[in-house]
Amino acid sequence: MIKIGLEIHCQLTNLASKLFCSCKANYREFESNTNICPVCIGLPGSLPMLNRRAVEKATMISMALNCKTPEKIAFFRKNYFYPDLPKNFQITQYDVYGHTSIGHEGKITIEGKEIRIRRIQIEEDPGRLIYEGSSEKTQITLVDYNRAGTPLVEIVTEPDFENPKQVRLFLNILVDLLSNLGVSDPSLEGALRADGNVSVKGGNKVEIKNVASFHDLEKALHFEITRQQSLVERGIPVISETRQWDDKRKITVSARTKEEEQDYRYFLEGDIPWVKLSPEHFNQLKKEMPESIASKRDRYITKYGIPEQVAEVLSSDKYYTDLFEQAHNEKNAKEIANIITTDLMGFVDTREKREKSKLTHHHLSDLANAIISNKITRSSAKTALLNMVQTGKPLASIITEQDLGNVLDESKISLIINEVLQEESNAVAEIKEKPETVNYLVGKIMKKTKGKADPAKTLDILKKKLGVE
Amino acid sequence: MNLRISALKYVEEIKNGNITTEEFISKTIERIQKVDSKLHAYLSLNDKAIEQARVVDKKIKSKDGGACMGMPISIKDNICVKGTKTTCASKMLENFVSPYDATVVSRLKEQDAIIVGKTNLDEFAMGFTTEFSAFGPSKNPWNTEYVPGGSSGGSAVAVSALECIASLGSDTGGSVRNPASFCSIVGLKPTYGLISRYGLISYSNSIEQIGPMARTVEDVAFMLNIIAGIDSHDNTTVDNQKQDYLKEIDAGVNGKKIGIIKEMTQEGVDKQVSSATNKAISNFEKLGASIEEISLDMVKYSVAAYYTITATEAGSNLARYDNLRYGYDFDLEGYEFNSYISKARRNFGPEVTRRMILGGFVPSAGHAGRYFLKAMKVKSKLTSEINEALKKVDMLLSPTVPVLPFKFGEKIDDPIALFLVDINTVTANLTGKPAISVPFEISNGLPIGIQLLGKPLHDKQLLQAAYALQNTVKLPEVPI
Amino acid sequence: MVSKEEIEHIAKLMRIEIDDHIVHIDRVQKIISYFDILDKANVESEELDVKEQTIEELRDDKYIPYDEKLIQGLKNYKGSYIRAPKMS
Repeated sequence: MIKIGLEIHCQLTNLASKLFCSCKANYREFESNTNICPVCIGLPGSLPMLNRRAVEKATMISMALNCKTPEKIAFFRKNYFYPDLPKNFQITQYDVYGHTSIGHEGKITIEGKEIRIRRIQIEEDPGRLIYEGSSEKTQITLVDYNRAGTPLVEIVTEPDFENPKQVRLFLNILVDLLSNLGVSDPSLEGALRADGNVSVKGGNKVEIKNVASFHDLEKALHFEITRQQSLVERGIPVISETRQWDDKRKITVSARTKEEEQDYRYFLEGDIPWVKLSPEHFNQLKKEMPESIASKRDRYITKYGIPEQVAEVLSSDKYYTDLFEQAHNEKNAKEIANIITTDLMGFVDTREKREKSKLTHHHLSDLANAIISNKITRSSAKTALLNMVQTGKPLASIITEQDLGNVLDESKISLIINEVLQEESNAVAEIKEKPETVNYLVGKIMKKTKGKADPAKTLDILKKKLGVE
Repeated sequence: MNLRISALKYVEEIKNGNITTEEFISKTIERIQKVDSKLHAYLSLNDKAIEQARVVDKKIKSKDGGACMGMPISIKDNICVKGTKTTCASKMLENFVSPYDATVVSRLKEQDAIIVGKTNLDEFAMGFTTEFSAFGPSKNPWNTEYVPGGSSGGSAVAVSALECIASLGSDTGGSVRNPASFCSIVGLKPTYGLISRYGLISYSNSIEQIGPMARTVEDVAFMLNIIAGIDSHDNTTVDNQKQDYLKEIDAGVNGKKIGIIKEMTQEGVDKQVSSATNKAISNFEKLGASIEEISLDMVKYSVAAYYTITATEAGSNLARYDNLRYGYDFDLEGYEFNSYISKARRNFGPEVTRRMILGGFVPSAGHAGRYFLKAMKVKSKLTSEINEALKKVDMLLSPTVPVLPFKFGEKIDDPIALFLVDINTVTANLTGKPAISVPFEISNGLPIGIQLLGKPLHDKQLLQAAYALQNTVKLPEVPI
Repeated sequence: MVSKEEIEHIAKLMRIEIDDHIVHIDRVQKIISYFDILDKANVESEELDVKEQTIEELRDDKYIPYDEKLIQGLKNYKGSYIRAPKMS
């Protein structure tokens, strides 16, 4: 029986400032050690100033994960020495005087499986270390404090996952949820990190830390499960320890055991009075929270008749949701949903492509309306769509420039079909024995019509002429 | 020109044109040069003081002078003053030059105070005699064989020996009141949260406060007006509604109820201190106050609770001193991370070293429940007891220190005896209440101070009572 | 009574070297024994008395760049980084 638990760190990248000072929360554009102040580099005499919005966003995460939130939250110090930790303690949350972290006992369901959330806490990120030379065992470590003090929310699950596939699914859903909430941009490097823990057949738990990506985590989990199972088969007990993923050798290795020696001596952070969270405050935040993905999905299905799979894709990706919400009206909703989830997806499947894309919601609604009113066929529409993504030109210009309009009416289609039937008399003769020849003929017809004939109509007319079903 | 001038009198003289800032600052510097080699109140001096005085004089001429009018103020060397060495009297911070001003310092500078120097203290504010300073102790100006008290000993000496008009110290367990009492000056530890700690190098952040120290109660009120009040840089500050602490300071104590703390006035008190206390009590009665006895049972655990909590917080607050970003010269080439830090931290003095070990022990896994949590609960119960008492009376009274000032080297070897010197003062810190020491008597050449402890955010009423008591005695001048 | 080994272990955790062992250890043991007085305090049922604030009193989420150059004023910096010794 496999048990996997997760510890996810999510940076609140959408905040303006750090957790305890007014330096910028998103440190990525700065040169080293230029996004700092006396507080985040831990100068003697400096004091933390808690960011209100960080508490609010963390509360939203807690509510979105169905957690219980306490009446008052407190902060604690976790004491240890490390070069990336300016004060040599981290201000974090801890549950020793009752529940004082921002959330506990929550749950989320993934494809019918319930995953329980043990705890959610607010804490600060340490700085970044750069090793002179390529490995940790160099003479000198270089420290950049730009990241020190960035607001983090840590999400700890119960060991409810039964296999790495569930873990991957959960992480994908979590990424969408956090993005949808507007608390974090998961596409930013380092914004979302996950560690895991694994045990098999009720044996000891092994922590897997410092995993570079979700993909690596999945690999590490697979490896670790196999490693533990093989130990058990040979009657060797699994040691409870911390391991890390060695991506070069594709194995987990024992991490420095010094970490086990740590005694963090947690105690209350006296510089931050406990923060009272009132019911009015919760209600206000609830109103502010964007609609959940599940709710959007259901709405798309029931209100617009959008098919379930399409609604699923549309609601879970904030980029698509935003486009859809702005572009659609009652009449063209289904068509827009369709365009997004079939043709558009291929053109904007990476962060860079999305950043470069010149497509706006106006383009989408114009396109959908044109398809519905038969001004352009679906195949031409795809061409037009790519053009809009690349150039941002209005649909009307594109139709003219690329001659995509002038959809043929039935009589014109009929004429072209007649031409083709004449040219392909051999194929026509084979129709009765090889019904699939119809497709060949359709292909020829589409070529002649240059995509301006509606494919369904064309097929219909052709079949009538051939006298087939 | 009399250097023994009060802050209020100084401001008056400046306004009347009888003295200039430059004159007064020069005279102060002369005085420092004359006596400080004997007293060692100062760790560093501001060599730009006279230059700054000239600038203030120009402002005063154009009627643009701030409330302080260029008066010489000294600052305890654990409070950051931009561009100055801020050493906490420790070799660990020998070369630390602060790149920013503490809020209290900014506020003083805005009012044209002149910082003449940084004063000596017990290393990192841990102690009450300045004997733990890494740069040598300060001497009591009333008798240089005796300790001046601590940890803000240097500040008390500087004020008492006329080397400045007023000073800012810090009080974690009595560190402003204790030396104020030993040096015969006034020292206030305000309500917790009244004065911003931004820029105060933390020792025990949940209970310490910066405290003004001066020769008269009015001067302390004057300083409080400038530095008190909410600060966005310090989450623990409270809104004092811009109180004017000087206004109606002579309101007196008629009709007020004063409680005498039984546990601080009976056992273990020197007989001279006891008799001075009784005199103070009778003076208050003559002024129209009524007296009753109050018992605070938790006082007997207060010292143990205090040292448990402060050791824990200090152990964490001093963790940042790893000598990597600031500290002293010690090249890290060739060292491994953990061994470098351990070697570097050998520059902590013996008392700080011991507190670090205590601070690691007390909250550690397995012991936290027994020591730290218990100490926190004693703190809570003591707070309830004192809150109950302050419902019955307006303020509480005790001698500031149960013993007379003692000679150097007397108590330093017995840690518990040293701790118990604090027994009258730690209660105010643990419970967050304001407390003030008023100089009351000189007994065989040694000063005795009386402590008043009040309701939270009632610092004004406390100052009124202190003022009334101050005016019942006339004390001799400092003999140096 | 706290053991010498425990005190040495804690000193290591705190990155404190104590080579004149006996004096330090002796004093620390004395002080810890004194703390045992807390056992008599009978405060089991006490609630912790904590400082509180409302969420409105917290700092606004605004980016305010800190104008002054800080790294150059610190010791041990190389280029724009702080140097720290290697970790074992």
